[in-house]
Amino acid sequence: MTRLLEVIDLQTHFFTRDGVVKAVDGVSFTLDKGETLGVVGESGSGKSVTAMSIMRLIPDPPGKVVGGDIIFKGDSVLEMTAQQVRSLRGNRIAMIFQDPMTSLNPVYRVGEQIGESVRLHKNASKQEAFERAVELLDLVGIPHPRERARDYPHQFSGGMRQRAMIAMAIANQPKVLIADEPTTALDVTIQAQILDLMNELQDRTGTAIIMITHDLGVIADMADKVLVMYAGRPVEYGSAADVFYNPKHPYTWGLLDSLPRHDVAMKDTLNPIQGQPPSMIRVPEGCSFHPRCPYARVKCIKEEPVLRHTEAEHGSACHFAGDDGFVRGEATACREVS
Amino acid sequence: MALLKVENLVKHFPVEQGVILSRVGAHVKAVDGVSFEVDQGETLGLVGESGCGKSTTGRCIIRLIEPTSGPIEFEGRNVVAMGRRGLREFRREVQIIFQDPYASLNPRMTIGEIVSEPLGVNKMGTAAEQRKVVQDLLDVVGLNPEHINRYPHEFSGGQRQRIGIARALTLRPKLIVCDEPVSALDVSIQAQVVNLLQDLQDQFGLTYLFIAHDLSVIRHISDRIAVMYLGKIVEVGDYKGLYDAPHHPYTQSLLSAVPVPDPELQRKRERIILQGDVPSPINPPEGCRFHTRCPIAQPVCSQKEPELRDVAPGQKAACHFAKPFPIDLKVAVQKG
Amino acid sequence: MTNPTSTPPGSNLDPHDSAGHDVRDMYSPLPVAPLEEHALSGPTRTLWRDAWRRLRKNKLAMAGLAWVVLVIAVTLSADLWVPDAFGDPETINTATAAQNYLLPPSAEHPFGTDKLARDVFSRVVYGARISLSVGVIAVFISITIGLIMGALAGYYGGLADVLVMRLADVFLAFPYVLFAVALIAVLGPGYINVFIAIGVLGWPTIARVFRSSILSVKENEYIDAARAMGASDARIIFRHILPNAIAPIIVYGTMATGGAILTEAALSFLGMGVQPPTPSWGLMLSDAKALMQRAPWMMIYPGAAILTTVLSFVLMGDGLRDALDVKMKD
Repeated sequence: MTRLLEVIDLQTHFFTRDGVVKAVDGVSFTLDKGETLGVVGESGSGKSVTAMSIMRLIPDPPGKVVGGDIIFKGDSVLEMTAQQVRSLRGNRIAMIFQDPMTSLNPVYRVGEQIGESVRLHKNASKQEAFERAVELLDLVGIPHPRERARDYPHQFSGGMRQRAMIAMAIANQPKVLIADEPTTALDVTIQAQILDLMNELQDRTGTAIIMITHDLGVIADMADKVLVMYAGRPVEYGSAADVFYNPKHPYTWGLLDSLPRHDVAMKDTLNPIQGQPPSMIRVPEGCSFHPRCPYARVKCIKEEPVLRHTEAEHGSACHFAGDDGFVRGEATACREVS
Repeated sequence: MALLKVENLVKHFPVEQGVILSRVGAHVKAVDGVSFEVDQGETLGLVGESGCGKSTTGRCIIRLIEPTSGPIEFEGRNVVAMGRRGLREFRREVQIIFQDPYASLNPRMTIGEIVSEPLGVNKMGTAAEQRKVVQDLLDVVGLNPEHINRYPHEFSGGQRQRIGIARALTLRPKLIVCDEPVSALDVSIQAQVVNLLQDLQDQFGLTYLFIAHDLSVIRHISDRIAVMYLGKIVEVGDYKGLYDAPHHPYTQSLLSAVPVPDPELQRKRERIILQGDVPSPINPPEGCRFHTRCPIAQPVCSQKEPELRDVAPGQKAACHFAKPFPIDLKVAVQKG
Repeated sequence: MTNPTSTPPGSNLDPHDSAGHDVRDMYSPLPVAPLEEHALSGPTRTLWRDAWRRLRKNKLAMAGLAWVVLVIAVTLSADLWVPDAFGDPETINTATAAQNYLLPPSAEHPFGTDKLARDVFSRVVYGARISLSVGVIAVFISITIGLIMGALAGYYGGLADVLVMRLADVFLAFPYVLFAVALIAVLGPGYINVFIAIGVLGWPTIARVFRSSILSVKENEYIDAARAMGASDARIIFRHILPNAIAPIIVYGTMATGGAILTEAALSFLGMGVQPPTPSWGLMLSDAKALMQRAPWMMIYPGAAILTTVLSFVLMGDGLRDALDVKMKD
């Protein structure tokens, strides 16, 4: 069966003055209709670059997809001509960005901008496009959409701008919607509105969503499948239930253990992941997490682990995943990292 | 006696209009009558969404912003009335930690210069003594004392935040205003810095005013918490009561809006999705400021401003209809 | 997974860690690396040193710098060799003038001679003295006034800001060269007055650049941190704001040096600047314009000198702008 979207061993590197940055180094996942994939990782983990690679938006130079493939409905996105990519972008694959303040052009009315994206891909008159924009603004829950469509972006609040961005993204009923930290710049009560809206739109249209975020709460709310990234590499991949309730990589354990919770009482001190995030110029050898991993053994510096599937659809890039007793909360640390 | 006592603090920023000669018209009512106390050795969490006035409150307390009115008493002395001299003394005892680990360190100064500057400003110690103090502090905050001659851009975000913390500790202050100290950091680093702040509190007997928008971090670090909305405190209480039995519908919505990192639980949770946006602080709504978004608002809410009143032992809420969670969710749905 | 052809990355480890485990065994616990290994290594990097490293990689900027250094070297050493080899730039040798005037370029007079039989190369070299000193001194005057005014406006704001910026607007509203001409008409011609006129007219742009630079630096929380520790205004300005706000001034000042050279040439061309017989590139162009067809070298060489020198300053400024960009976070 052809998947909707298949990313196979994607490698996107940036050739900078200071050296080669392997921003994405061997990422693979699949996405089907109606699914939400959550991509989680810290800044510099390569999650945004993965999204930009799928959209073919990597600035070249300095960036370049140097390996792997991206298959959308059986066709390689990487082999498409510029013309084909344009008809893909904003049409069958659309994207929402983090900053709602800068992703709308301040000199055009909101309705015109949304209509523009319709006109680019469908043969619609200016009037038809505007009508469609009003319809879309209504769909994303903007009150008085007809009047608000004539407003300029600065007349919109942050939450409303993000709704307008979503309206623009779904204008052509994309098959895949990539959301890159869509709620990070928003307040929690607005974040709840936006997440709700995205869930609702997905139920209605069956759009597949790639949700990129550093917030495990957002992932828990939205994602069916989860990809955890660290230093450009995938470290764990599986269903949301697998990753949250049966994680198999010490980095995922660390992330889950270090989070304070507002809904349950916690013990006095948190369990942070020790050490600092790696420099992307000099990623540690072997397993890139080894300098911060309390379970690291010599093998971890000598051999680079690959994402192994320990059971159907659940994989961990840890040499010891699946070993007896190597379970979150039970495994014993073999060294102290500070 | 409370270490810090803030009474009816007000800060209105004039909105400048006109180009040639600015005329003052409207005011942004950033902080509009905030009162609280912080006891020696405790952590008061100040939480709210952007624009609620929590940061302005923090900056008024150390007089980085001049408050419009309201006494701020630190150990019985009124901070607002302090002259140049008094302020200098005061600032040895109160320090601040900032949000942005990049913008809060001067990129042209070495770590040693940054951390020792408070000593230089206050003409304390010889160069050798200052150096010793800095090295000890770097060690205390978990940095290598040998890095004293390095520049900030050579460090990661979490390490830079430690440098900022060391600078705040240099003068051995009693109170530290922590203005979103972990919100710019990566998840795995946040916990390190929160732990460090807690260790330092024990070690030096510090008192914290901890400002953040992240309810999880606030719950973890605070003894008592004040929730702000549009320039006012809507609810205040100890961390247990406030999180287990929030009485104000805004606190309730805020808590229900934060997604929890547990998929099954998160998808089962009852949530209040607030409608609309926070109104402009230039023209805040009459009566209760939350009534335009409140799921349980009644006519009285738009007419009469609710007082902060006792709702449970050690817990106060400013709501005419304050009652513990869960509130009637059907009402919420109807409104939506 | 191990790559047999390259040495394994862990091979430089001590075979035994502190606990005595044999680390050649793949399953021994990995010794904890010192903190520096994945954070800091190498010599301390200051921002200035980084900027210089970046500037060095900019070929155009380095070419500009090389040209300016060459011009300065030739000008400074000119007294030692130029008059002897090519003739005095000012005095007219009446004895030989009749046969030496308007000679085309040759080995003896590489840039030819002018209508008063003076060596054009020699005059171009001495003209560079005027041009460079105008550039440096005028820009120095501009920067001094501009920094003070910009600091007043940017740091204190309020009424000081309004007054300074409106005054700057008034200055900028006048046509530049016309204003300079008017100023010299009041002060009288002569190169000292040219320095003053160009310098005084240059401050408003510097003040504006510095003001906006201060305003953006002031936004940084390290300024608040300094205030919170009780630092004085002077300390905040000189230790925190100035070092961080100065980069745009360095860039702008470099470019403005080129601009000042150009203005001096224009004023001298109009007869309002340097007076004969002192050589100046602008004056030489003015002398050449009547003889453009008969003696094109009189125009080509001073013209080329202006072009290359001004271009060099602009290229250097461009390179500095890229090199001093401190917005990058790594």
